Amino acid sequence: MKKPLAKDKSIVIIGVNGFIGRSLLRHLEKDTRYKRVIAIDYKKPNLTLKKTKFYKLNLTETMADVTLSEILTDEACDTLVLTAFPMSPPKDQALAHEVIAIGSFYVMNACAAAQVRKVVMASITDVYGAFPTNPNYLTEDMPPKGHLQDRFLADRIDAEKQALKYAAKFPDRLVTILRHATILGPTIESYKTRYLRRTISTTMLGFDPLTQFIHEDDVISAFIKAIDEDHKGIFNLAADGVLPLSRVIKLCGKLHIPLTQIGFKTGVQLLWLMDLSPAPASHVDFLRYLCVADNDKLKNIFGFTPRYTSKEALLTFIGAERLRELDLTETAA
Amino acid sequence: MQDKPDNARVLPFNPRPKPETENGFDSLAKKLETKIANIERELKDSIHILESDVQRLVKRGKGKADQADIKDDLATLSKTLEGRIKGTLDGLLKESRGKNEREELKALRGLSSHLMQVLTVDFYKNILEKVKPTETNDDIDEFGMEPAMVERFRPLLDFLYEKYWRVETTGINNIPDKGRALIVANHSGTLPYDGAMIKAAVLKEHQGRKDARFLVEDFVFHMPFLGGLMYRIGGVRACPENAERLLSKEHLVVVFPEGVKGIGKYYHQRYKLQRFGRGGFIKLCIKTQSPLVPVGIVGAEEIHPILFKSNTLAKAIGIPYIPLTPTFPLMGLLGMIPLPSKWHIHFGPPIHFDQLGAEALQDEILIHKLSEKVRGQIQQILIEQLKKRRSVWRG
Repeated sequence: MKKPLAKDKSIVIIGVNGFIGRSLLRHLEKDTRYKRVIAIDYKKPNLTLKKTKFYKLNLTETMADVTLSEILTDEACDTLVLTAFPMSPPKDQALAHEVIAIGSFYVMNACAAAQVRKVVMASITDVYGAFPTNPNYLTEDMPPKGHLQDRFLADRIDAEKQALKYAAKFPDRLVTILRHATILGPTIESYKTRYLRRTISTTMLGFDPLTQFIHEDDVISAFIKAIDEDHKGIFNLAADGVLPLSRVIKLCGKLHIPLTQIGFKTGVQLLWLMDLSPAPASHVDFLRYLCVADNDKLKNIFGFTPRYTSKEALLTFIGAERLRELDLTETAA
Repeated sequence: MQDKPDNARVLPFNPRPKPETENGFDSLAKKLETKIANIERELKDSIHILESDVQRLVKRGKGKADQADIKDDLATLSKTLEGRIKGTLDGLLKESRGKNEREELKALRGLSSHLMQVLTVDFYKNILEKVKPTETNDDIDEFGMEPAMVERFRPLLDFLYEKYWRVETTGINNIPDKGRALIVANHSGTLPYDGAMIKAAVLKEHQGRKDARFLVEDFVFHMPFLGGLMYRIGGVRACPENAERLLSKEHLVVVFPEGVKGIGKYYHQRYKLQRFGRGGFIKLCIKTQSPLVPVGIVGAEEIHPILFKSNTLAKAIGIPYIPLTPTFPLMGLLGMIPLPSKWHIHFGPPIHFDQLGAEALQDEILIHKLSEKVRGQIQQILIEQLKKRRSVWRG
């Protein structure tokens, strides 16, 4: 199914300072199959770019969609990868809303104008939300309910909706949404890794939800596959296997302190305001209820089987973490 | 082993006094004491013999053949030990003349074999140690079940199954030897012990099937501590998606269509099956083409007789009801110990839905009819069992 792209067509990545965008760009930069790669972000990524053309564009500007559509038309964009999303819930919710929801709105408008054939969008399995009514495995056809929980997740769902609207409006064009589970690995940095890296891990007393991860290499491989091949629709990008949260913390070797649920949310919110908690209180339910995605569609229709299981992904993260503590990462790599 | 004498002394905590004279009571107490001392000595001797024998056998046995020998030897040893204890008690029984005394000793003999081990501290220590969650490297399955955790709970499960509720299981072969199947049972008992006992029945009685997964109501699944334990020992949150996934992976799934209505019914409603949900289990069977095994459980209704329940108070703490039973909340935490009724689980012949296709799923009337049919069959099983039952406690 892999066919080389027409010479004059290009691949555009929007958001190359985030983990997925940067790793993807690094990969495309190395791979000779991709002749024209365009990177767009509000600041230049910390990479040496040889063939990649970089455009500076801030998606929160009012005329961002106009500028973007001009760039996309000029560069004859065939495939657009949208990864301009913060990995962690940001402090400035208004700005996050501008970047995630309105930014996606602008990008989709520009795509419509520039007749972009394919859009690959990054999303997260957290958009399903952690609810007591969740089945053990959430499938792609279930409606995401994260917006009931948190504004950050609401924005991510909004961004997805923009892409789905685009797909519905232009049936001849492709939209692939990859909802990845919590990414772990040697280099990833997000609010979840910050949670796992803390000396003391607090959980909710009496609750021990199952958790699920995906290795960072698998995420990048899946995105490359989504660029190379044409797959329409939403796919959960999650590894096989689940781990109870308590087991995760035990494997990390951190101090595990369960706290009662009374006052837990207030405490987390206070810590969040003091910059001591990795996530606001609205994310507390992820310590309490299940939010595990089903990867059957990924395996059977998308045709991608993650190489690492959840546990293996976690172990690579832990291994790198221990070396980092000893300042040995460079020599090990 | 060292604790045994101490605990043995606890046994006759309630010697029935002879009504005639004070002297009679004293003499009986003395006699009993000497007899207990005799039993103790006998037990000690036997245990010493057993220990030395075991040591000798372990020293001798190295190969596999030897191990089989050891097993045989141990079996004969334990038999002789049992015989000796029984002989001693029988001798005592013959010696004794008074009716009261004989009754006492009879009771003692009945109790000794069970209570001797049940009442020792070691017994509970062992169970607790095995149950205590420790870090293991075993991987867990996709629904969170840890085989190591199941193994740890086996002694408790076995104790409840064999000694406490003395479960009698019939018709176990109605469960297909392999492949998917849905077990549908009546629900009762305030806490879902019935699910655990079906699991135990399949584990112990069925040849070659160890994979019974039971669906758990939300209120149990999200109860602090209990939820985390439930999925570790094989429970899965009750919802159609989960059941379908389990069945499509060829599991044996236990469901209780009555749900909360069944498990929390009043004592006066016992063994009267409640509404079977909305027939979701029938749809599940048709969709996944699984055979349905109807099951009747007799005995679980009496473990926590609900005389009254408070819904408003319960809502405040997020559970469906707070029950008032003869023991709870009067006796506090002790009241949460279920009563030792005698159980009987009967597995009925499987029902197949092969001839029904996808169009049957749309026919709600047909679904309801089939659901009522299954309900009638289970009610019939219950009625048959209840007809035979002479006593709640002895079966």
